[in-house]
Amino acid sequence: MNTSSIDPQLKVQQKEVRYCTKCVVSNQRPRIQFDSEGVCNACRFAERKYGNEIDWKARERELEQLLDKHRSKDGSYDVVVPASGGKDSIYVSRELKEKWGMHPLTVTLAPFLYTDVGYRNFQNFIKAGFDNLFFNPNGQLHRKLSYLGFELMGDPWQPFGYGVYNYPFHVAVKHGIKLVFFGENGEAEYGGNAKNDDIPGHSLEDFADFFYKSTPLDTLLAEGLRRGLISEAEAKGASHFYRLPPYEEVRKAGSSLYFYSYFNKWVPQENYYYAKEHTAFEANPDGRSEGTYSKYASLDDKTDGFHYWMMFIKFGLGRTTQDAAHEIRDGHITREEGVALVKRYDGEFPKLYFKEFIDYIGIDEEKFWSIVDKYRAPHLWRKENGEWKLRQAVWMDEAERKKDYEEYSSNRPA
Amino acid sequence: MRNIRLIARLDIKGPNLIKGVHLEGLRIIGDPQLYTSRYYQQGIDEILYMDTVASLYQRNNLAEIVSLASRDVFVPITVGGGIRSLEDATHILRAGADKVAINTAVIKDPTLITNIARRFGSQCMVLSVEAKRRGPESWEAYTDNGREPTGRLVLDWVKEAVERGAGEILLTSVDQEGTRKGYDVELVSAVTAAVSVPVIASGGMGTIAHVLDVVQRGKADAVAVADVLHYDRMSVVGIRDEISKAGIPTRKICQL
Repeated sequence: MNTSSIDPQLKVQQKEVRYCTKCVVSNQRPRIQFDSEGVCNACRFAERKYGNEIDWKARERELEQLLDKHRSKDGSYDVVVPASGGKDSIYVSRELKEKWGMHPLTVTLAPFLYTDVGYRNFQNFIKAGFDNLFFNPNGQLHRKLSYLGFELMGDPWQPFGYGVYNYPFHVAVKHGIKLVFFGENGEAEYGGNAKNDDIPGHSLEDFADFFYKSTPLDTLLAEGLRRGLISEAEAKGASHFYRLPPYEEVRKAGSSLYFYSYFNKWVPQENYYYAKEHTAFEANPDGRSEGTYSKYASLDDKTDGFHYWMMFIKFGLGRTTQDAAHEIRDGHITREEGVALVKRYDGEFPKLYFKEFIDYIGIDEEKFWSIVDKYRAPHLWRKENGEWKLRQAVWMDEAERKKDYEEYSSNRPA
Repeated sequence: MRNIRLIARLDIKGPNLIKGVHLEGLRIIGDPQLYTSRYYQQGIDEILYMDTVASLYQRNNLAEIVSLASRDVFVPITVGGGIRSLEDATHILRAGADKVAINTAVIKDPTLITNIARRFGSQCMVLSVEAKRRGPESWEAYTDNGREPTGRLVLDWVKEAVERGAGEILLTSVDQEGTRKGYDVELVSAVTAAVSVPVIASGGMGTIAHVLDVVQRGKADAVAVADVLHYDRMSVVGIRDEISKAGIPTRKICQL
């Protein structure tokens, strides 16, 4: 199982699933850390965030000092903000501009396949008063990389990830902008490596390590070349925006990465209210998004559903789990409510854009399912009457989960 | 013209009064009892409690809040959210509610409308509709706090529900809810023209002009107000005075 995947995250997966005792995330999430009380690092971070431990006033002063140091006097750009036009980028860009008097240059990597609402939100974001650079990578290569990401890593989102994190640094270096402001530190907010929870950003090395060490672009390109899917010329011409600029150049330009969530209590729900109050931001016009109960997040790309759904296949943790875990930590819902939502919605297949998705990456349904099934780890999945059932789910009781695990262990080849 | 009723709508999750936008978001406003008493003292005509996420989480737990409120609030109380059976309705009415508002359960089983109307009377059976605009003069009914499309057209559905015994309609526009940009007057107007029972317009109240418009053009019999009251942008007394001045008849309140 998983032998054809090059994703090393899957090789270190624990076989006995343990859930955080406070939220609904499990030890299957890459890099997440649990303490001796069985609580995940995202919940511990949230306790500090909402408790008295983090001095938010002091953090705001830190932000003020940082921005005072870099604010341009002549109106030239002084901060790069990666933005999709969603609620989080509206919040960060607008606060930097209106509250702090900065001159943000927002940068956007085009989604694979824009949804109508996503495109409207993007346009309305620009109209709300922001300068924007919009980058569309080579459409042929991008979709081939998406296919390779899907097959080799179980995640079609990979090339977007390369671009969305790295392109802003190219813009910063090119224009000599010192600040690159991302919204949230995902490692702290969703669970991951906690080492940078209390500093304003990741170092470039950590940044590359967390996001790309396990999944380098070159591996995908090499595999594409080997199969004849990607030509030499295409590989050679792959946009350099897919990679970080050389560290030396970044250092010379003095550009650094910051998370707004370090300086300011990050509450996605409040960002939604903020976006509704200040811009023409629209929530999902279809009601909730497939695979979850929420209406306001991750709306702009028709392929997003498959990124989350593959998370569910690989880790047993889908989009509902991610949303519910955050809302539990934020005190919006209880763990019990979160479990009920996960049971009801997690793993719902994103059927709305299925056809467009497989057309985009260029495969048929049969191929799609054969790739998906490769990613069903036996400790998480069993087949019952021809149907896949999730093992060791959060909504089962302890005994049922244990039984699942033991059944898996006893069938495991020695 | 009959008196137009002013209804304070309180969306509840767990022990808290919350307020969303487009029925999304769970921002906590405060203790529902405090807000209920305030609106009652200011002369609200009715109180509406919605456990907005009861269907979403598949539960039902407003009884306690209702029973506390009914001790010192002497205007009609309507309760919605998570009522799935005649037993649930009986339970919440015994706790002190005067009417039940039902959406998800009656979409799944429309005969529940008749069963409740037969047992407690039509005046007690409020059909709750979460309407989303689909096109000109076309709206679709949603359930689960504006999350699940049902495929049912609002205008067909309200006619059927009234034939089955619904005595009143709580009509919430998902598009306008929480925006303070005005009611969906076309929606209200289409529904009031389609059925003869009273219609409560809900979702979008931001100014007095919005109320006048939905009453005069939309022919609403009652207006639900949430955001402007909860965030203290207006008071019940203020709204009543303003709309009375504009010639809309309302219940006369003795000033204490």
